[in-house]
Amino acid sequence: MPQPILEIDHLTVSFDGFKALNNLTFAMQPGELRVIIGPNGAGKTTFLDIITGKVQPTSGSVRFKGRDLRKLPEHTISRLGVGRKFQTPRVYLNLTVRENLDLACNRNKNVLATLFKKPEKRDRATVIQLLETVSLASKADLPANLLSHGEKQRLEIGMLVAQSPELLLVDEPVAGLTDEETERVGDLLISLAQSHSIIVIEHDMEFVRQIARQVTVLHQGSVLCEGSMDEIQDDPRVIEVYLGQAPTISPSQLRILRIAAAMAWADGYFAPEQLQVILTRLSRKFAPDPTQQDDLRQELQNYLSKETSLESLIPQLETEQEKEQVLKLCYEIIRANTINEQESVVYQKLLELLNLPDGVVSQTEEAINLGMTNGTLDDYLNVT
Amino acid sequence: MTVNGVNQRNPKQAIARQRFIIEGITLIVLAIGMMGVLPSLLSAFQLKLLGRFLSLAIVALGIDLIWGYTGLLSLGHGIFFALGGYGLAMHLSLQLPEGQIPDFFSLYGVQKLPFFWYPYYSLPITVLLVIIVPAIVAAILGFVVFRNRIKGVYFSILTQAALLVFYNFFTGQQKLINGTNGLKTDTTELFGQVVSSPRMQWTFYQYTVLAAIAIYLLCRWLTSGRFGRLLVAIRDDENRVRFSGYDPTWFKVLVFAVSGGIAGVAGALYTVQSGIITPSAMEVAFSIEMVIWVAVGGRATLVGAVLGTLLVQYARTTLSTQFPEVWLFFQGFLFLLVVTVLPNGIVGLFNETLWPKIRGRLGFAPPALTYPSLDNDPDLQKEREQFHTTPPPDHPPQPVESLSDSVDEDRSRP
Repeated sequence: MPQPILEIDHLTVSFDGFKALNNLTFAMQPGELRVIIGPNGAGKTTFLDIITGKVQPTSGSVRFKGRDLRKLPEHTISRLGVGRKFQTPRVYLNLTVRENLDLACNRNKNVLATLFKKPEKRDRATVIQLLETVSLASKADLPANLLSHGEKQRLEIGMLVAQSPELLLVDEPVAGLTDEETERVGDLLISLAQSHSIIVIEHDMEFVRQIARQVTVLHQGSVLCEGSMDEIQDDPRVIEVYLGQAPTISPSQLRILRIAAAMAWADGYFAPEQLQVILTRLSRKFAPDPTQQDDLRQELQNYLSKETSLESLIPQLETEQEKEQVLKLCYEIIRANTINEQESVVYQKLLELLNLPDGVVSQTEEAINLGMTNGTLDDYLNVT
Repeated sequence: MTVNGVNQRNPKQAIARQRFIIEGITLIVLAIGMMGVLPSLLSAFQLKLLGRFLSLAIVALGIDLIWGYTGLLSLGHGIFFALGGYGLAMHLSLQLPEGQIPDFFSLYGVQKLPFFWYPYYSLPITVLLVIIVPAIVAAILGFVVFRNRIKGVYFSILTQAALLVFYNFFTGQQKLINGTNGLKTDTTELFGQVVSSPRMQWTFYQYTVLAAIAIYLLCRWLTSGRFGRLLVAIRDDENRVRFSGYDPTWFKVLVFAVSGGIAGVAGALYTVQSGIITPSAMEVAFSIEMVIWVAVGGRATLVGAVLGTLLVQYARTTLSTQFPEVWLFFQGFLFLLVVTVLPNGIVGLFNETLWPKIRGRLGFAPPALTYPSLDNDPDLQKEREQFHTTPPPDHPPQPVESLSDSVDEDRSRP
């Protein structure tokens, strides 16, 4: 096993008795793209402050490529190959885009070299290439204060790359960006991940899903859990941390709920009837007595706000029984109001993914059709 | 139309060279004018006044370096100014027959020259010390302050506190440097000539002009290029500089020391042209005035620092001879006016408002940058051809990877 690029061991940071980080242990391999998530106050930014030397740990160790980073000043750590992007874009507003990048890519950063050495031609070439990478070539000679928020974010990432660090620490790179810009930044990070190790701190789950391979969840200054995005999403502890209460349903039940939600969102519109179907069906299935059912309805509603793709969820279903449950529920959902084109497309995809025998499908559909045409939705749900 | 306009525009390098030539010619013309023409037009008194203003303009250049560019407001430049002034004054006081020590020592019963006076017997060493002593004091003060990451208003307060310490020390030490009375230079002799004689004053004026030009060029060199941009970067966002791998402490120490050395030169030139140096050069008000000159002229523009000083000083002489009691009010009002209405000073007003208007009137306003022309900039295209190893379009470019590869190679090289 290669040496980890970053190793953090039993790290504790306390500010006047408040433990911002508590006995945190973390390791990362070279070339990894790691996303760190966690609710507000989980210690994410302190985590970066420790690595970059802005804050000193109370106890524990931080090693970068085997070298202890404690007691080193920020600029030394930066020269060792750790680059950091701040939460709000921090660029030099009174310098042009090109000058910003040039300062970052200067190879010898002591005073006299900066004063006496002329910038090398190689540096100029580096800067021009970077301008293309962050797509700011046409604004190269404009002062940075004329750039938009998204452009400043990209410029700061460019400055980071110009330092040619081995480990990039990126703090909320897409805060305040439009969807399109978010995607561009995501693509940029993914392409950078080919040759750098990257830690990204992010709140935007959509973005995390776009870039994440390995996710670490921080909570109250410690690592709560680590894993792939799918594992993290279904972990009851993570849900508890984000929603404030532990889920009473099991992960497999949660999965069914997610599929149902995806189906209901298929046409981009979550009809009240569809909501009713999901809540009644599932609360009754998951909880035995009526008061619990009411609580569960509330809880389930919380999870419905998340959109997920069917492709990743359905293969996780384990038994045939579960698949049939899903089929029934989904058909009920789209059948609850009139079926439109988008819904039928998604439904076809669902059938394909479930891969159930044709007989089972047509039987289920028929039973539901029959039940729904004979009375109101309420009646139907109460009878069956 | 747009495309034509772009094509006719000169490449940026040519413009930069053109500007450089214009600046050089202007400087030479100014130097000839001030050294050759003005002395014959002005009376001896006026010339001496101009020499004094110019030496103050030299301090303003130093203040601009540390405040305008690096963003550190020093309210203690009086220290360095006085240290330079005292240095030269000590040398002049020692122009005595063998075995004698300056008169004032006898008042306090001092028989033997204090040890630190001895280096000032030699003129070359004095000239060196005039620059180096203030620079070292500034470097030490700066190192202590900057290493502890003291900045903003705390830096200003600390420099002012240091100023008061020096002021009290100098006023209290009669036995060392004649306390409040200071050192008189106008009756002393240099090269067999009385310092206050018109001939000597003319020489000092010429040296002042030369020093002003040399120091302007020094500041110009420091503030252009990477070093100058780094100073601006420190002003804009010091933490970003730190996380980019620079240690701002040493940059700030160096600039503060250079700024102190410049103030020392100015102090020396001012002293010989006003005839005396006393601890009053270290009064709080004087150091604040220096900041006002720069603010009036325009921060972070070297020309502004010089212009601001000359204008304020000229106004001061004119006004305080006619209405002596009004001057202080006027100065306060001027500062308020600059802070509220002209945050970028006179030069800022000219660059941002007047010059574009004049250009517009004369009919050669620069075309506004628009998107198509930004993208089609011929300079950029040329640059791309020159440097960018353009991959064939059917292969998606991966500039990041190739870049870091080349960088890694450089890193591993010792």
